[in-house]
This record gives sequence, structure tokens and C-alpha cells, in this order.
Amino acid sequence: MRFHGVRSSILSLSLGLAVLGPSDVHAETVTVFAAASLTNAMAEIETGFAAATGHDVTVSLAGSSALARQIQQGAPADVFISANPGWMDALEADGLIAQGTRRDLLGNALVLIAHDAQHPVVGIGPDMDLAAMLGDDRLAMALVEAVPAGIYGKAALESLGQWEAVAPRVAQSNNVRGALALVALGEAPYGIVYATDAAAEDAVSVIGTFPGGTHPPILYPVAGIAGREGVAPSALLDYLQGAEARAAFERQGFAVMAD
Amino acid sequence: MQDWLSPAEWEAVRLSLRVALWATLFSLPLGLGVAYALARWRFPGREVLNVVVHLPLIMPPVVTGYLLLLAFGTQGPIGGFMDSTLGFTFAFRWTGAALAAGVMAFPFMVRAVRLSIEAVDPKLEQAAATLGASRAWVFLTVTLPLILPGIIAGTVLTFAKGMGEFGATITFVSNIPGQTQTIPLAIDLLLETPGGEARAARLAGLSILMAAAALAFSEWMARRVAARVGGR
Amino acid sequence: MLEVRLTHTLGALRLDVAFEAPKGVTVLFGRSGSGKTTIVNAVAGLLRPASGRIAIGERVLCDTAQRLHLPPHRRRLGYIFQEGRLFPHLSVRQNLRYGQWFAPRGARSEDMARVVEMLGIGDLLSRRPGALSGGEKQRVAIGRALLSTPRAILADEPLASLDEARKAEILPYLERLRDEVDIPILYVSHSASEVARLATTVVALDQGRVVAQGRAEAVLGNPAITPLGAREAGAVLAARVVRHHADGLTELEAGGMALWLPRVDRPEGADLRVRIAAHDVIVARGRPDGLSALNVLPGVVQAVREGAGPGAIVAVDTQAGRVLARITRRAATALSLAPGAEVHVVVKAVSVAQADVGAAG
Repeated sequence: MRFHGVRSSILSLSLGLAVLGPSDVHAETVTVFAAASLTNAMAEIETGFAAATGHDVTVSLAGSSALARQIQQGAPADVFISANPGWMDALEADGLIAQGTRRDLLGNALVLIAHDAQHPVVGIGPDMDLAAMLGDDRLAMALVEAVPAGIYGKAALESLGQWEAVAPRVAQSNNVRGALALVALGEAPYGIVYATDAAAEDAVSVIGTFPGGTHPPILYPVAGIAGREGVAPSALLDYLQGAEARAAFERQGFAVMAD
Repeated sequence: MQDWLSPAEWEAVRLSLRVALWATLFSLPLGLGVAYALARWRFPGREVLNVVVHLPLIMPPVVTGYLLLLAFGTQGPIGGFMDSTLGFTFAFRWTGAALAAGVMAFPFMVRAVRLSIEAVDPKLEQAAATLGASRAWVFLTVTLPLILPGIIAGTVLTFAKGMGEFGATITFVSNIPGQTQTIPLAIDLLLETPGGEARAARLAGLSILMAAAALAFSEWMARRVAARVGGR
Repeated sequence: MLEVRLTHTLGALRLDVAFEAPKGVTVLFGRSGSGKTTIVNAVAGLLRPASGRIAIGERVLCDTAQRLHLPPHRRRLGYIFQEGRLFPHLSVRQNLRYGQWFAPRGARSEDMARVVEMLGIGDLLSRRPGALSGGEKQRVAIGRALLSTPRAILADEPLASLDEARKAEILPYLERLRDEVDIPILYVSHSASEVARLATTVVALDQGRVVAQGRAEAVLGNPAITPLGAREAGAVLAARVVRHHADGLTELEAGGMALWLPRVDRPEGADLRVRIAAHDVIVARGRPDGLSALNVLPGVVQAVREGAGPGAIVAVDTQAGRVLARITRRAATALSLAPGAEVHVVVKAVSVAQADVGAAG
């Protein structure tokens, strides 16, 4: 067959590509919106995924609330990992989640941290007097109405009967990292953050873990975004539940949910 | 009208006004001095000073906030000194919010004033000197009246920026209702809370109204002053 | 008495001057770029000379040998700038008061009313500088400098930015200033007629050096001193108004000789100085007859100075005073003009401009 001109060139090129198939040479970029507490883990996963599949990953890290709002407004995310089910539920209600792609990916623990490395371990229970420990100083937390770590923290303090006394002393940061920084610098003597965050920061020490019963389970759901399904996003969803990713998450201190 | 915003939101409005006011009050003399030095003096490190003054404009606000935290927090060199010696704290207080607002708005103040100083004919200052005015009196009686429009512009910009400062504030003094929860921080919180959009919109609307009022006032003042100074 | 001695280098100009300015107007006279403004700025304290000493009476303003340099605001010198430099945000009255406000307590304060009257600015007091004409601005500037009770007045070409009509308007005020105020006035100018009208003393500058200093008539009558070039040369005669005639001429008397000029707007008996531009003077041997020129004065040649080009300047002493004439070298040779020669100088009455007639100083 002989074809003439530009049109025929394009035609033959597309035919050629179609024959070759998408899983070949063609490298795609997957955009992931992930909760800020996954920063370190996602760095490892980025490299691992690229090495395994040849696809690139672009990770956007921020508070789950901000990310969810952006997705609601049409941001070009392919995959969303939220730090609490609430925001994932909101997106699901809006019909923004790809059918059948939602999973509970990770779990985390809530810890009480202190600036002082010598601080003795505190028994976390209804008997503790966090308000007395604070005195005039501040308790660093993430936004208690908006950011998952803050929401869980408030729930935990409420169930332990500490919230009323402690509420006036809370200094809320935009995200968990901000609260972590305050305790790391010593501006606030105590803070409530995720176990994974505390592990990443040398300048704080964990002085107690909130029992799982004091707060709703800390779950990190993952899902693909509706309308953005494809080979590469699916490959990432699979990878996130695979052994390599599991190792990366566990290295950061996350609990990986068995599927 | 009282019910239009919740008490917490009115609190944010009052706090914002207070923070912006104090930020402006302190920026004014300092900004004036720095602008004059940059405009009229030659000294080693002049360019460095110029760059430092402009840093809050070009650095991410969160970075500026973090630097403020390092320096002016109770554990920081300046903040620690002020806390232990003078009993004065910035950390977690509206004073810290005012400091953050002032620092972020400082480049605006300096630029506006410096431009107007450079527009003053130094020959007029020379003439005043020959008539017996010392440097200080020359500044007060000749330079200052002539740069008043620039000062007004800088003041209003500083005030407006102070009302709108977010990144540095929340990083430095975090979000504490009644102490540091200014309008921008309140709006941010409402936006991050599911269902808070309507209240956020109301607060934003009020914020815009106040900014517009400040601008209109400054335009009016600038016109009046320009007429007086223009010499007709 | 203002004593000035200084050296300074400004760009390509090397300044090295020493002179005194007594009461009256001392004009620093020379081409643009001869250093006049630099000298005045050094006297005012706006510039630090490389070396020198500046004193007014007992008060030393600057002495580099003793590392003394009073800042401008402590020198109490009134400076009238070329561009006036009135404060735009103050009214005329406030501008005038500005210097008064800073004058040290106990200094005899010039009377505001007197100064306003002398300069004719009474109607302008509540106006702003922006609403004044160039001439009005300069008059206010003069008043402002006066009212700061200065020990001396400095003026840097105050009329340079005005047109001829404005200049003519202001020169009488400057003459009044010279006559009614008893402090030295150091006045920079590159206009020969301004110098002729105003100067009591002339300090002629050329390329940063003083080439002559002395009383105005002497310096201006010296043919060797032409700091602005031969075209601007002209001697000054002292004359008195005798009578105004009906046909528009004024009869004056200088040294006993009659001098005719177009109507001079001064009262009879007034003492004047009249500048005779050298290029308007004709030299004749023997008394010329039948000429239209009314002023024919006998005199004796004092000096002939030949220029680089075709011209020459002849200095002739007449009974009315020293007169300079600019003629060709050829004519000078042809007429055998040499010191001692008896000649007549011829001046057309109408060639003396109104601007060249001023009050005697």
C-alpha cells in the first residue's frame, strides 16, 4: 500500500502505535495526592514504582482536607490517599471515586510527644492530668476540626475526659508537621501527632501512645479518581498494595492493612 | 448584624484589626528610617540591607514564619531574651501575629516610602540647611511633608497586608482562637472544615469590604495631601 | 568682610583662589566652568574644599588646616539659588518665615514688613510657590535668604533662568539689596551687564584662578581682563542725571562731561553707573565732525591689547572715566594707537541699553 502526504504519515504512525500496544515503551505519569504524613514513605515508593514499571509518579502532599477540596474542584489527581476516611467518604458521596478501587491501605497510631528527651513515659488513661502537665504552656496539635490528626487527637482527649481542661491550651497548626516543628523546637512542651511523624523527627520523644479504643481507627484509605482510570494508575494502585510498598510503609512506622 | 457572624468570627475580626494596627504602628518609624537610609546614605552593606528588606516578599511565607519561630520563639535568641528579661512574649500570642504581619508587610512600607524620598529634590533640603535647619529639622520640616503621600501609601499597604497575612502567621504562632486566629486563619479553618464554605464566604466578604474601605480612605487622604504639598 | 581662600579639584578643573568680599556686591565673574559655583558652595558649606580657609569677620567657617568645617546650617549665610528652591508645600509667607524660625535667639531679626516692601512681594504672601512666576519666585527667594538674618548673602546666578524682561524687573531689587543691607553679598554671574550694574567689587576668574580683583570700574576697565572674551568687554562710568529732555533723551554728567542716553527712568540728581559696551565704541584721532553720535569724548589712550584674532581692545581715559573700545588691529595700527595718543571716543546714545544703566553702588 502506498499513502501520500501528511495525513497518511499520521495515519501510519497511529496505526503503528496501536499495533505496538500501550504497555510497551510508552511511559506515563501518575499524579498522586497523598496526606502529608506520608511524605517520607512516598519518596521511597516513587523511586520503587518508577524502577518497577517505568512509569513516573508525581506526588502532591498536603493536608487531606486541602487535597480533597482540590479534587472536588477538578484537580488532575489520578490516585488519592487520605489520612482519614471522612474525606474519602465525602469524595465518594460526590461520585468522584473510581468504582471498586477504594481500599483501606494503612493504619497509624496516635502518640503524645515531648520536647524533653529525658521526659519519663506517661501512662495514658483517664487518670492522667494533661492540663496540669501543660500548666501555662501549649499543646501542639493539628487543626482539631479539620485535619485528621487533630480530629483523632481531640476525640482521644474527649474520651479520656481531658478535653475540657486542655482545650484553652491548644495551639493548632495547619498540618501535623507544623505541630511537630513546634515541639521539636521546644516552643510547645507537648504535642499530639502520629507515631510515624514522631519517628521521623529526632528532636521529639514519644512519651505515650493513645490506646486504640480512645479514638476512631486511624485509617488511610486509597482510591483511584473517577474518570482518570488507566494502565498506569492501576499499576500504582497494585504497587501500593504490594510487598515493596509494604516494606517502605512499615519502615516509616505505618501499620499496613491486610487486604 | 451580630448574628451575621458567629462570636468566634467577630473575635477574628477584632483580632485582625488589632494585629494590623500594631504591625503598622511599628513598621512606620522603622520603615521610614530604613527607607531614608537606603535612599540617601551610602554605607557598606547597603545592598545587603536592601536584599534583606525584600526577603519576605520573595521567600515563601511559611519559610519566613519558620525563621520567625526560630528567632522570636521562646527558645530563640531574641524571643528568649525578651521573654526572660522583659517578660514579653511573641510565641502563641497576638503580639507574634502582629510581628509576622509587620515583617511580611515591611517591604511594602519601605518601597513606598523610599520611592517618595527619592522623588524629593535634594536641592530643597540643601536650601533648608542654608537657612539654618539642622539635618533633623530639614527632615521634619521639608522632607517629611513632601513624602507624606508615599508614607500614606505605605501605611495602607502595610495595614492591608497585615489584615491578610496567613502563611507566616500560622507557622509562627499557630491557630489559637482569641490570640492568633486572625481573619485569614479563621477563613482557612472554615475552608478546611466540611460545610464551612458559607461562613468562610461571609468572612471573606467582610474582609474585602474592610480592605476596600481602607483603600478608599487612603486615596482620599493622598489626594488631600498631594493638593497641599503640590503648592498650588 | 568675607575672606575666602581655597583649593579644590572638580573633574578637570583645578581651583586655586583667594579673595576678599567687603560690604556690597562682590561678583565672581567668569565663564561657565570657571569654578564660580564651586566656590560659592564651598563658602556655603555644601562642599568641603580640598584645602583652604573661609571666614567672615571673626567667625571662621572652614579651616582645613585645623580640620574645622562648620555644617551649612550653622554658618548663617543666606543663599539665593539659581532656581529659587522655594518649598512647594509652604506658602510664600511660610517660606519667608522659614529662615527666621531657625535664626539664633538674640540675633537682630530683619523686619518682615521692611523686606516685603523692599521686594514688592506683599501681594504674594498667601500664595504658593507653584502659583508664582519666575520673577516672583526669585524675589521671594531673596526675601527668604534675607530674613534668616545672615552674616553674608550668597547668590548663584539668581537671574540666569529668567528672561530679559524679568531680569530687568529684578535687577533694581538687587540694587536696593546692595544699597540697603550692610553685609557682604557674594554674587556669581557670567553676564557682563549684570556685573556692571551690580558689582561693588569684581573678582574675575579664568580656569579656576583669580585673574583680577578690585573695584568694579577698575577691573572692568582693564583691557587685559576679559574673562568672558573680548565681545563682552565694557567699562563702567559713574554718572549723575542732570535733566530729562522732551525729545526722550536724558542728559547725564560724568566727571564734568555731558553724556546723552535714551530716557533713563531715574529722578534728576540720581547717581548712576553706565556700562559702555566696548563694541559700541568708535575711536577717532582728532575730533570728528558731522556725526550722528551724541557722545564724543576726548581722551588719552592708556593701553592697547591685541587679541588672537583680528580684534584689539583699546583703553582710553576720558574725563568721564575709563572707556574700552573694541576695534580691529589694522585700525589700531593705521591710527597709530599707542599709550599716550590723544583720541576721541564716540558712543551712540541709543546703543546703551536700559539694562546697562543702574544705580551707583
